[in-house]
Amino acid sequence: MIAIALPSIAPGTLLAAAVTSAAAGLYLMLPRGQGGRRERTARWLGGLLGAVALAGFIAAGRRLGSVGEEGVFLTVSLVAVVSAAATIASRSPVYAAIWFALALLGVAGVLLVLGAQFLGVATIVVYAGAILVMFLFVLMLAQPTGMAPYDRVSNEPLLSAVAGAVMLGVLSLSIGRLSSEPPACCAVPSRAAAVASPRVDDVDAPTTAGDPLVTDQVARLGGELFGRHLLAVEVAGVLLLVALIGSIAVVARAGDHSGELAPRRAAR
Amino acid sequence: MSSFLPALPTIVALVKIGLLVGGLMTAAAYLVLVERWMAAWVQDRKGPNRVGIPLTKVRLFGLGQPLADGLKIILKEDFTPKHVDKVLYTAAPLVILAASLAIFAAIPFGSSLPPIPALGLTGEEPLLVAPGLDVGVLWVFALSSIAVYGVLLGGWASNNKYGFLGGLRSSAQLVAYEIPLGLGLLGVVLAAGSLKLDTIMNAQADSGVWYAFAQPLGFIVFLVASFAEAARLPFDLPEAEQELVGGYHTEYSGIKLLLFLVAEFLHMVTAAFLIVIMFLGGWHLWGVTGSGPVETWVVALVRFAVLSAKILGVILFFMLVRWSWPRFRFDQLMNLAWKVMLPLGLANLVTVATIEEFRPQLVAALGDGMGRTVALVAPWVVFFVGWIAAGLLTPSGTDNTPILTHGPLDVEHELAET
Repeated sequence: MIAIALPSIAPGTLLAAAVTSAAAGLYLMLPRGQGGRRERTARWLGGLLGAVALAGFIAAGRRLGSVGEEGVFLTVSLVAVVSAAATIASRSPVYAAIWFALALLGVAGVLLVLGAQFLGVATIVVYAGAILVMFLFVLMLAQPTGMAPYDRVSNEPLLSAVAGAVMLGVLSLSIGRLSSEPPACCAVPSRAAAVASPRVDDVDAPTTAGDPLVTDQVARLGGELFGRHLLAVEVAGVLLLVALIGSIAVVARAGDHSGELAPRRAAR
Repeated sequence: MSSFLPALPTIVALVKIGLLVGGLMTAAAYLVLVERWMAAWVQDRKGPNRVGIPLTKVRLFGLGQPLADGLKIILKEDFTPKHVDKVLYTAAPLVILAASLAIFAAIPFGSSLPPIPALGLTGEEPLLVAPGLDVGVLWVFALSSIAVYGVLLGGWASNNKYGFLGGLRSSAQLVAYEIPLGLGLLGVVLAAGSLKLDTIMNAQADSGVWYAFAQPLGFIVFLVASFAEAARLPFDLPEAEQELVGGYHTEYSGIKLLLFLVAEFLHMVTAAFLIVIMFLGGWHLWGVTGSGPVETWVVALVRFAVLSAKILGVILFFMLVRWSWPRFRFDQLMNLAWKVMLPLGLANLVTVATIEEFRPQLVAALGDGMGRTVALVAPWVVFFVGWIAAGLLTPSGTDNTPILTHGPLDVEHELAET
């Protein structure tokens, strides 16, 4: 739709402009700690540039199938990107954590739209549900007021903004090039073709990657994980177990330590 | 799906969402009334029995009470204290209510409806908002962990020490009990071989053995953990009135408080749904509901009625427990989670995994009937062994002596020196 409105601009130019705009916007939005009206104006300007950059990325990207699908995808991905920007731009650590949670929900939504149900829900369970709650705990307990100055400013605003934007540009360029010419092995069938063809219920049958109509995704994922990638899964499991035992050991030693302190205090 | 309307799936989904949300909200209102009747019955008084039809003398046993209560709390002043963090203060009740309603996208509220050709529904229509979701159990788990945010943010944004302590306590409790909850879930998922709640119900209906009988230890662990997740009475520390005024919603009033209370109630309803669906056979009842696909409306309605009756029974159990048990202390609560429920849950998981792995060999060696019996009896042996071990080895819950960093002799030393 937007691509029709801008027929003369090549996608590469558009992408480059979007990346530049994103870098400038991020740089302006990162908290600098001057305070006052000037910074507020700069942040507004940065937000505006960021919005322009997002529009550019959307225009440079490919369209999905139906209008509804496109709308849902754009909504969740915009939630993810905007919240991610707000995470690094916000001054209060607690707010940053909340924005990060929202960004994770957006990413989970993108994964759900793309048909990766297990990954999407696992993202919520692991990151938003467990890790980030721990972060919030620490933030709230350690700094109830959130006023420590080193937590409220960005240390390297220019370098980090440029690095982030360049990374974004390179990723979308390479992924865009990959997806514009899908190799013969992994061509994603159109939805209409998938509906028209009879569905195969056999778990062992070869499937096309990324088919959103596969209903037994978890069974397939489990088969894949514990078939081809069995060694990696086992190694990761052992690693996590070691980390668990290590953390218990650290805590136990800390307990001994306070036990040693008590008689010393009594002797003094 | 061959239908005359291309938008039919969307319409069906919207109708289901409407029915579910409307039903849940009404049910929550009337369950509050039931809870007050139950409280009155336990305490030997009459309870709310006055409000009937307004402006008449008709009382209807007090059935108008939920409407009157709801209107009153909605029309109260929506007061925002000056010292709160306004954005998060407003967001917290919305987050918790949205999460506790969205959970029901993956929870079936019946078996399914027979085909309705007049509307273009040629297949059996499952009574589930998102039937294509292959990760139902995980979805429930994920959203119940999102609900923690509402509690934590509400407590923090209130900028009140009671609210903050309540929020921290509550989120520590929720995070701790998610682990035994997950272990209880995993046993059922292993046995049924699916993360979909309707498949889990079908598996119990097909075999005729509810998972509460096949995995007694898992059932107990899950039951206790879901009481804690719903913050019902033996575990209602987040809002221990004597210590924390109102817990994380101390500073809330009016409709925001209502959202918190409804969300808390929905947590209990969710827990009841999960207990019934995963351990008590869902819509299945021997000799009444059958187990195959739904062909007639009678079967569909009977299954719906059986599921609802079971859920109501579990909710009544929740309410009865509330008036029968004293509250845990915080260290008792944490000891129970980490030193009792976690090992028991692991024992159940290992038992179930072993039985499921060796079931074919068992059936081949002992014959069908004998093999099944052994597979059914073994978890009960583990259950009783676990029970005895828990009774003998776990920390005493009634020990009230303070833990001293120095022994009594050291204290005497210190006193003598000063």
